[in-house]
Amino acid sequence: MTALPEWLRLDAMPPGTPPRAPAGNRALARTLSAIGRALAPLVCDAGSPRVGPIEDADPRAKLVAAAGLIVVATLLHGLPALAACLALALGIAAFAGVPARRLAPVAAVALASALVVLPATLNVVSGGAPFLTVWRPARGTLGPWRLPEAVAVTREGLLVAGRIVLRAAACAALAAVLAATTRPHRLLGGLRALGLPQGFVMVLAMTERYLAVLLQAARELHLARLARTVSALGVRREEAWVAAGVGAVFRRSRALAEEVALAMAARGFVGEVRLLRPARWRGRDWALAAGAVAAAAALLLIDRGAP
Amino acid sequence: MTPLFAVSGVRFAYAGQPPCLDGISFEVPVGERLALVGANGSGKSTLLHLLDGLYAPSEGSVAYLGTALSQRALSSAPFGPRFRQQVGFLFQNSDAQLFCPTVEEELAFGPLQMGWGADEVARRIEEALALLEIGRLRGRAPAALSAGEKKRVALASLLVLAPSVLLLDEPTAGLDPRSQSLLLEILEALHARGLTLVTATHDLTLLPHLADRVIVLSEEHRVVADGEAGPVLADTDLLLAVNLIHAHSHRHGRLVHSHPHRHVVAHDHGHDSVAGGEEPPEG
Amino acid sequence: MHIPDGYLGPQTYLPAWGAMAPLWSLASSRLRRTLSFRQLPMTALAAAFTFVVMMFSVPLPGGTSGHAVGSVLVAVLLGPWAAVVAVSLALAVQALLFGDGGITALAANCLTMAVAMPFSGWWTYRLLARTGRATLRRRQAAAAAGGYVGVNVAALATGVLLGIQPHLARDAAGRPLYCPFGLRAAVPAMAVAHLLVVGFVEAAVTALALAWLERTGAALETPEAPPSRGALRRLAIAVAALVLASPLGLIAAARFGAGTAWGEWSAGELARIAGRLPAGFQRLAPLWRAPLPDYGPAGAESSTPGAHALWYLLSAVVGVAAVAAAAYALRRLIARKGRDDRPA
Repeated sequence: MTALPEWLRLDAMPPGTPPRAPAGNRALARTLSAIGRALAPLVCDAGSPRVGPIEDADPRAKLVAAAGLIVVATLLHGLPALAACLALALGIAAFAGVPARRLAPVAAVALASALVVLPATLNVVSGGAPFLTVWRPARGTLGPWRLPEAVAVTREGLLVAGRIVLRAAACAALAAVLAATTRPHRLLGGLRALGLPQGFVMVLAMTERYLAVLLQAARELHLARLARTVSALGVRREEAWVAAGVGAVFRRSRALAEEVALAMAARGFVGEVRLLRPARWRGRDWALAAGAVAAAAALLLIDRGAP
Repeated sequence: MTPLFAVSGVRFAYAGQPPCLDGISFEVPVGERLALVGANGSGKSTLLHLLDGLYAPSEGSVAYLGTALSQRALSSAPFGPRFRQQVGFLFQNSDAQLFCPTVEEELAFGPLQMGWGADEVARRIEEALALLEIGRLRGRAPAALSAGEKKRVALASLLVLAPSVLLLDEPTAGLDPRSQSLLLEILEALHARGLTLVTATHDLTLLPHLADRVIVLSEEHRVVADGEAGPVLADTDLLLAVNLIHAHSHRHGRLVHSHPHRHVVAHDHGHDSVAGGEEPPEG
Repeated sequence: MHIPDGYLGPQTYLPAWGAMAPLWSLASSRLRRTLSFRQLPMTALAAAFTFVVMMFSVPLPGGTSGHAVGSVLVAVLLGPWAAVVAVSLALAVQALLFGDGGITALAANCLTMAVAMPFSGWWTYRLLARTGRATLRRRQAAAAAGGYVGVNVAALATGVLLGIQPHLARDAAGRPLYCPFGLRAAVPAMAVAHLLVVGFVEAAVTALALAWLERTGAALETPEAPPSRGALRRLAIAVAALVLASPLGLIAAARFGAGTAWGEWSAGELARIAGRLPAGFQRLAPLWRAPLPDYGPAGAESSTPGAHALWYLLSAVVGVAAVAAAAYALRRLIARKGRDDRPA
């Protein structure tokens, strides 16, 4: 072995280098936590199986119930019915013991929707009688546009905006409850059992299966970056790093796909997908489905009844 | 007696790359335990892929019980499905081998491809889970398993097909001791029932458990030794030349220890280190 | 750009499902031909890869960061049909497993991000990469342009889908039931954000990732299925049959006493029906004199039915020949420029 270089002593800095200020790693940290959040339902498995009537139910029943209620939500017009739908979804979440952080996307959707439709509350978009005046430009001009007498929030506007926000939140809540109470591979297995083409569901299942692998690879990339980041690199170098990361993940995907293809061939796969027979529905699965139908009917009735 | 595998004059290169196998010929009789050893990159893993008909050699041929493994042979019934049922391949990368959503479905995959009845499939799954001591993992997703658990599931998914040959690619790499010993125990028991084993590895400590015969591949991708395990492993010059041991390894019987590069260290075992030129100790 | 549930009404999302179903079927049969037994794992891994690309946070000048969709990158690397499937699957996984993006709106999101985006981006890439010498720089620029165009086409499509909601669904009092912003608001809003900011994120990721992969040696020729000769023959037979059947339209019309199809009136007919000819019509009508007006020379309509049918047939032959010639010329043009390429 050649002798150790002279500069490779402990803690030896080149002469004259001042310590640099640490860079903000907020974006990296945010991505890392997003990857972690995505990995959690895929990897954290039956370690602590939360047993409840909802978790235990057949995924087909849950899929049908959730999808059905979401479709019904898109058919509801009135605010009372939509609010009831949202309350129903949140109630099921509470009953099933869904932790609050799994419902965070619902809050995010509600907030984002509220911001997006905020202009729709104004009379310039939705028309109607003013409710709360916001601005009085008194027929002035702003560039090419002629301004109205007053810009105000109207009842109609609130109705229109409220509709969207409530509906988006209700749908998001239903989807979140479904995702939080069903393990991913069971959910996808439920799709197959509902009659979707086997090849398609097998691909979907395999996507979920290898998503964890690729996410872990992406996480390692980000951790390696975090461990070596001292100062900001500048936009171009950062973009180059992202590109290299994306490329590395692609290379990994391709290699893994080749190997999986060989592994499938080695066990006799010739192109036709054959899967296990799904279990039959039990009493509680029918009860869940029936409950969903009843809830849907009730919501529609409320909706048609109200103005 | 027809040999199980007959490899003759095989050359192989991946597309656009230099050859990774250069003129390989040997035969594997039924019931043998063969080890393909060589340093990383010597081509032993690729050779296993060729034995399983996953790639076709650029030159030469690979035959299974007298039938050459060609695309046509493998896609024709009954040879194709029979071959897949009889020959099991344990991949080095368990992530590639476990491609089904749950452990149970993974075990069911092979039998379902063969078209066996649901009851038979279910029975075999149960018993394979019990054999590999992974019953509690039945409904788990592969992403949630440790390396040892994955390897056991992978082996179980092969055993449900009741193969007569197992091709193993670095079977114990990265395994915890308990998984490793269970694996070796099962393989020995299966061999007693007549299973043929072909293992590719660079870990010489496995060989007493897995091999009666050893083929050594050099870094130039050729066969440089083919014979009984004892004599081949005694040829330390050869092992040094093909980068399977390094100058500070020493032999202890049929085992090979490695020690870090330290010239001044007291050995308790009572044997000398084998540096180039020194006589290996007896026994 | 992911449209959540609740913004689109069933009048929009149901037809979207109807439109996507044959596209998915077509895409998967194309993939089966090119990838054979590798299709399953390759598709799944491509979808997982797309999902992961969507998670990367791309820095922008000014300290912010954005996310790329990645459809165009997948289209350039694996072909547009693979991108249709991969992006659709990634969106499905996002919606079902993570509640991110709508479930009813899934097909609509697939239309924008899994069909419109990869195809428009890929065509742009092919058009630009195949003109002149295909150096790495040129392919990189073409990929960037493809990414930019693709994401903006998707944004436009999203804006349209959202913007037509107020026109499609209103309640009894005339208030919009779904997305309240009409085309005049939704389209510019989506367009501006994507033209000015998001487009460059997508362009950067597409171009740089492609360049990295090429430089580090990954094989990048997209596997394209050669068109089978059988298919061409079948097409020729079908077209010939349709040409021969074309006079049926005349015969049927005469049988049932139908006049000219609604909205397809000539200037004279319009004047008669409406009582007067609009000014614009008067100005523009004489602009172009067709060689075979009404599928026959002047006076063919008043000749015998047999002669009229024969002229119809002749027009069909002329029309098919003209289209085929144009297509062939275009193909030769593109192929000739393609042959000048040498892989870098």
